[in-house]
Amino acid sequence: MKYKHDWRQLLAVAMLATGLPVAAQLMAPTDTLSRVLSPTVITAEQMNQKQVTNPLDAINGRVAGVTIQKSNNGAAAMSAVRVRGTTSVTGGNDPLIIIDGVFGDLSTLSSIYPSDIESFIVLKDASETAQFGSRGASGVIEVVTKKGATDRATVTYNGSMGVTHVVRNLKMLDATGYCKAVTSQGGMLINKGFDTDWQRAIQQTAFLQDHHIAFMGGGDRSGYRVSLGFMDHDGVILHDKLRNLTSNMNMYQRMFGDLLSIEVGMFGNVQKEQTAVYDVQKTFYSAQAWNPTFGTERSSNGGWDGFTYANQINHPLALMDSRTRDKTIHLSTHAKLTFNLTKDWKLSVFGAYSHNEVEVSQFLPTSIWSGGKGYRSSAKTESLLGNATITWDKTLGLHHVNVMGLAEIERDTHTGFYTTTTGFSSNDIGIDAIQAGALTLWNGTGSYRNSPSLASFMGRVNYDYSNRYSLTVAARFDGSSKFSKGNKWGFFPSVSATWNLGNEAFLHDVSWLDNLKWNVGYGLAGNLGGVDSYMAQNVLTPAGIPPMGQNLLVTLDQLVNANPDLKWEVKRSFNTGLSAAFLGNRVIAALDFYTSKTTDMLYLYNVGVPPFSYNKLLDNIGSMRNSGVELALGLTPLNTRDMELNINANVAYQYNKLLSLSGYYKDYWLEAPGEVDLVNLNGAGFHGGNNHIVYQIVGQPLGVFYLPHCTGLKSDGNGGYVYDIADLDGSGDIDIANGKDRRICGQAMPKVLLGSNINYRFKQWDVTLQINGAFGHKIYNGTALTYMNMNSLPGYNVLAGAPARNIKDQTATDYWLERGDYIDFDYLTVGWNVPLGVKAQRAISRLRLSLTIEDLCTITGYSGLTPIINSSSAGGTLGVDDKNVYPVTRSYYMGVTITF
Amino acid sequence: MKRYIIYSLFLIAAAWTLVSCEKFLEDDPSDRLPDSEAYNTVADLRNNALGAIYLNIGGSAPSQGLQGTARGVWDLNTFSTDEAIIPTRGTDWYDGGIWQNLFLHRFGNVDFTGDTWNYLFKEVLACNRAIERIDAFAALHPAENVTELRAEARALRAMFLFYAMDLYGRVPLFMSSSPTVQEMKLQDRSVAFKHIVSELQAAEGQLDVARSPVQGEYYGRMTRDVVDFLLAKVLLNAEVYADDDWTDDQRPDASTMMWSVEGETMNTWAAVERYCTFVSACGYTLADQFKDNFDISNDECPELIFTIPMDINNFSNRFTQQFRSLHYNHAAALGLNGENGPCATIEAMKTFGYDKGVNADARLFWTYYYDNVFHDKTGKLVTLDDGSPLVYQPMAVKLDLSNDPYEKTAGARMRKYEIDYAAMSDGQLRRNDIVLFRYADVLLMKCEAMLRGGKAGAEADALLNQVRARVGMAPRTATLDNVLEERMLELAWEGWRRNDLIRFGLFTRSYTDRPQTDADRHGYTLVFPIPGETLTASASSQNPGY
Repeated sequence: MKYKHDWRQLLAVAMLATGLPVAAQLMAPTDTLSRVLSPTVITAEQMNQKQVTNPLDAINGRVAGVTIQKSNNGAAAMSAVRVRGTTSVTGGNDPLIIIDGVFGDLSTLSSIYPSDIESFIVLKDASETAQFGSRGASGVIEVVTKKGATDRATVTYNGSMGVTHVVRNLKMLDATGYCKAVTSQGGMLINKGFDTDWQRAIQQTAFLQDHHIAFMGGGDRSGYRVSLGFMDHDGVILHDKLRNLTSNMNMYQRMFGDLLSIEVGMFGNVQKEQTAVYDVQKTFYSAQAWNPTFGTERSSNGGWDGFTYANQINHPLALMDSRTRDKTIHLSTHAKLTFNLTKDWKLSVFGAYSHNEVEVSQFLPTSIWSGGKGYRSSAKTESLLGNATITWDKTLGLHHVNVMGLAEIERDTHTGFYTTTTGFSSNDIGIDAIQAGALTLWNGTGSYRNSPSLASFMGRVNYDYSNRYSLTVAARFDGSSKFSKGNKWGFFPSVSATWNLGNEAFLHDVSWLDNLKWNVGYGLAGNLGGVDSYMAQNVLTPAGIPPMGQNLLVTLDQLVNANPDLKWEVKRSFNTGLSAAFLGNRVIAALDFYTSKTTDMLYLYNVGVPPFSYNKLLDNIGSMRNSGVELALGLTPLNTRDMELNINANVAYQYNKLLSLSGYYKDYWLEAPGEVDLVNLNGAGFHGGNNHIVYQIVGQPLGVFYLPHCTGLKSDGNGGYVYDIADLDGSGDIDIANGKDRRICGQAMPKVLLGSNINYRFKQWDVTLQINGAFGHKIYNGTALTYMNMNSLPGYNVLAGAPARNIKDQTATDYWLERGDYIDFDYLTVGWNVPLGVKAQRAISRLRLSLTIEDLCTITGYSGLTPIINSSSAGGTLGVDDKNVYPVTRSYYMGVTITF
Repeated sequence: MKRYIIYSLFLIAAAWTLVSCEKFLEDDPSDRLPDSEAYNTVADLRNNALGAIYLNIGGSAPSQGLQGTARGVWDLNTFSTDEAIIPTRGTDWYDGGIWQNLFLHRFGNVDFTGDTWNYLFKEVLACNRAIERIDAFAALHPAENVTELRAEARALRAMFLFYAMDLYGRVPLFMSSSPTVQEMKLQDRSVAFKHIVSELQAAEGQLDVARSPVQGEYYGRMTRDVVDFLLAKVLLNAEVYADDDWTDDQRPDASTMMWSVEGETMNTWAAVERYCTFVSACGYTLADQFKDNFDISNDECPELIFTIPMDINNFSNRFTQQFRSLHYNHAAALGLNGENGPCATIEAMKTFGYDKGVNADARLFWTYYYDNVFHDKTGKLVTLDDGSPLVYQPMAVKLDLSNDPYEKTAGARMRKYEIDYAAMSDGQLRRNDIVLFRYADVLLMKCEAMLRGGKAGAEADALLNQVRARVGMAPRTATLDNVLEERMLELAWEGWRRNDLIRFGLFTRSYTDRPQTDADRHGYTLVFPIPGETLTASASSQNPGY
């Protein structure tokens, strides 16, 4: 097996097979050289060997500065991916995904079967991302799928089968403990005589199987590759299912000598998901807190016994009667013509059409939703993309010049409709016959259409002297239809330089040094994430039926504040890096530093009413800084014929600071309040008030904990305990409102991220272990705050340890703020490349068997279920574990790969 | 040569792309309508300019609507008083302490006070926008339509300003839908008060006399009757509203304030009387029975002046008050859902004479659920999950009931509105129109104005006793104390208590579970704090004490 550190060779192979990928084309040739030592290209062999549902799982922990929040429910869509941190607060933080030249988003990735991927290219640097202009601000991940081979025809099958089971749940009181606790509290005890572990009652052992078959063949002038993949994954929660059928076809052909080369490809999938979890928090809150003396049998009327005091939760099995089914159909076709006009001139034209359709059907029975709810929707996106690139490439002695011009247009048309009904008389039909509900409310039905467009022009000059010095200057203009006239266009220039010291004469004699390179870059990138069509226009939408007069007609109204001044958010970034290879390429190291400043930052301000009609306005005011250092190391301590040991590790330190959230909008001074809450607790007794946990505060990292300080527990005078809150502002009384007895006490996003991979090969056997980690952040254990409160009895069960502590308080203080550091042993794979005899090799060229254990264990001091929660995405769950965490699972599976 | 042809073609293509780009980047909405095309007929003008205002007199989201939803105008006017309370019941209704803070007058820690401001001024801005549209499109439409629509929008704006002034004291008085910083400056309460009165008076003459709660042309709309009610209500509070410094315990004398009513000059109390008389002259009478006001089919009730129309299928207006109040098992027995929260205070129970057994006020039964409760139709006793009967304990109410034997059952609950068994969405979508203004209030306002104007006597007594006689209660002499008591007996759960207590100077006193705070003593709590975003935008200062 060829090993990973030979970047140059692998890249060369990849390029030969695929033609230059888009990202590589946009990067200057010298950048290609720099990437030889900078591990941003992940080839098939370097991808994670575990069973991956989403392709990005395959690079989790493999690239410094890339954070991938794992999906823990078996679903294919990724929750969040961050490249070099969060640079925008409104949206558009997910990197641009390009699949074979087709632009998409994270959800598009589920249309690619991981085995079809030739390589990932991750672009992080200023000059690299700037060349994607408006879309590159949050990084670029390009996926290149496998194309036809140039040698003999092959068929490859790979498949795997396995199981996933739950290894850890919360320890709540059992029936005996519950009855005892309720009785001692003097509450109303409903004891139905059972002893049910409700968390187990909604769980199952999940079976998984994956199959994939690929055919490829061709010759020098043409080639093809066709593949079919099928995934069938159950989830560990009852009724959770995911099925995904993918297909990928690629062909290439050269014509008229070398004048024209044609690449045509198509990829698509049909994915069906089913779940009974319509509300993650409600499901786990119910399963954890439901009265354990209830039984798992239906009541005599076919429904489920209720417990009225548990008003915020439902019988867990009643929740399992709900169904949500999603069906996603994705189809992309693309074609590329490359004209090698002369030796120096090259013209290429690329076009792509994508069609994406998501159908949702949902039924919530009357036991969990007043009147029941039937819902059906369809959302379609059609996307057209076209671009033309012309390049001029000339070498004159030691001088090499490459000039490129690009014009590109894209239009996405989003259409959809939805219908909701309620008033169901029966729970037996519903998901497929929503007319079983008597009532169709006005705002439950609707349809929409919008089609934003984007146009771009780019020019780039690259100059290289003697393979030692190179300079790239690029300028890109992007225009978006979402902005009003005058604000449509953004200008995103960039410049980068590389000094390849390894090629300098004075280093030729240093035998232990194989390569050394220094690069520096600066560039602007744009972002319009969070901006929807028509936000800059005064347009009226159907708003409802006003109760006025005789004729009931729908009124049209403007439902949000329009902002005609909206414009591009701009990220200016600077980066510099040093990379080196030593000792015969056995030690490879790359050190990168970056800093970026987001200006004209899009932010949804709380604004005054008046002057605005609504109290939210999206505007380009404010700024944020992101900086970081990334170190990637590759070691090959052992490399003999029979034995090879490789250790790859990457460490990223990231720092984020919100610089400003104030400025003028026209004549009005806008200023975000000193503390803006981002994440609040939910559940019984947490509706509103001082339940804000994570805030954004100017001068602080995005997402800090801002909480009252608890000095310990104190007696409530009746045998119970309450949180003793410190008078931080010295006012003499306790007031935990913002600005009073509260303090900043940690950040939600990790400061340091670690990814490491150890691979050991002995003859035909190999073992791979992936270890990831995150450090320097905190987690708010809202789950413990809720379940340690004895006041929640009898309606809500408490943790087994709660009666001993006897806390009767649910004030959110820093008492339950814990360190979030962890080291996660992500997976361990043992593989065996079966030695094949000469005879067997005629039929089978390769046979590999493997066994994988995924989610081995996590080492952490965090007391909740798992520290691996949302620590990267600035949404409603950032840094807070609040009764919404999937149980901890482990998977075992066997895989086989056969190539004929 | 071939090469040059190819180059030229490429250049032409590039040029064409550039030219067509501007058009390519135009975003032409097909699922929305530009503002310029929405008011071309009188029907469009009424529907799109005024409709946007009427759409939000009630509401479905928290803090939206004058009544019916949670955490809005009604909550601020009700749970800050001695009429009703939302006690903490274990984990239920703790909610970060907001309900306790509202009851204890720690308004700086009630996070929805600003949402109510935002709602009221969203409506004011919608009125301004409507007037601007009406003026801009006036030439296209007959003058009488334009005049009436304009007056309607003006009166609606004055109504929202009245609520805002009542809750927050100082308000901005701007006439544009995009006011400048200068126009948004907060005005003293007395300035706002005079402005509201003059706006209402100006609109009054241009509106038709019509019964707004009755289905038909004027259904749900602002009419002359409603404006007269509002004028009486606003003027009755003249001593409060004309007072710019509410922290000094001094109020101006309303009897020396003169008003011109239909060309005649009179003092405040006479003006209140006059506007009450106008309402009477429109033909309003007390309903035969007290409960008729709150029936499912109350839109024909002769007592109602202004309501939030309800309709399960068409309107999104919700009525959450009863849903929030009823015990879980009680609501479930009725086929609805309940949140087991708000209930009557000890003070309310004493006023209704709950502790006096058969001598209790007749309206106790129609206003509250207490003791054992039965299904309205089947007569079946409502029980708890353990089979024991549900017994509401009106006198066991306290601020924090956690760990109390009556944690879940303390407090008399809201009855008043007839249960709609056809209700949807937890019982929040129902057919009883929500009562905002009704005639019994007019009688009591007139009685109070006479007493305040020094006209105690038989005529004033008759007004009070007309209200009492309808429910079979013995007549009383009309005194200010009796009027205030009668107002609770008659109007409990109708959102007037805070307004009444402030007028009677009793809002900041202490009562069960509510010690007088320092802020109460200084009078700071007579108004709520103004949201910071508005202060920033208008460069104004906060109300004293916040």
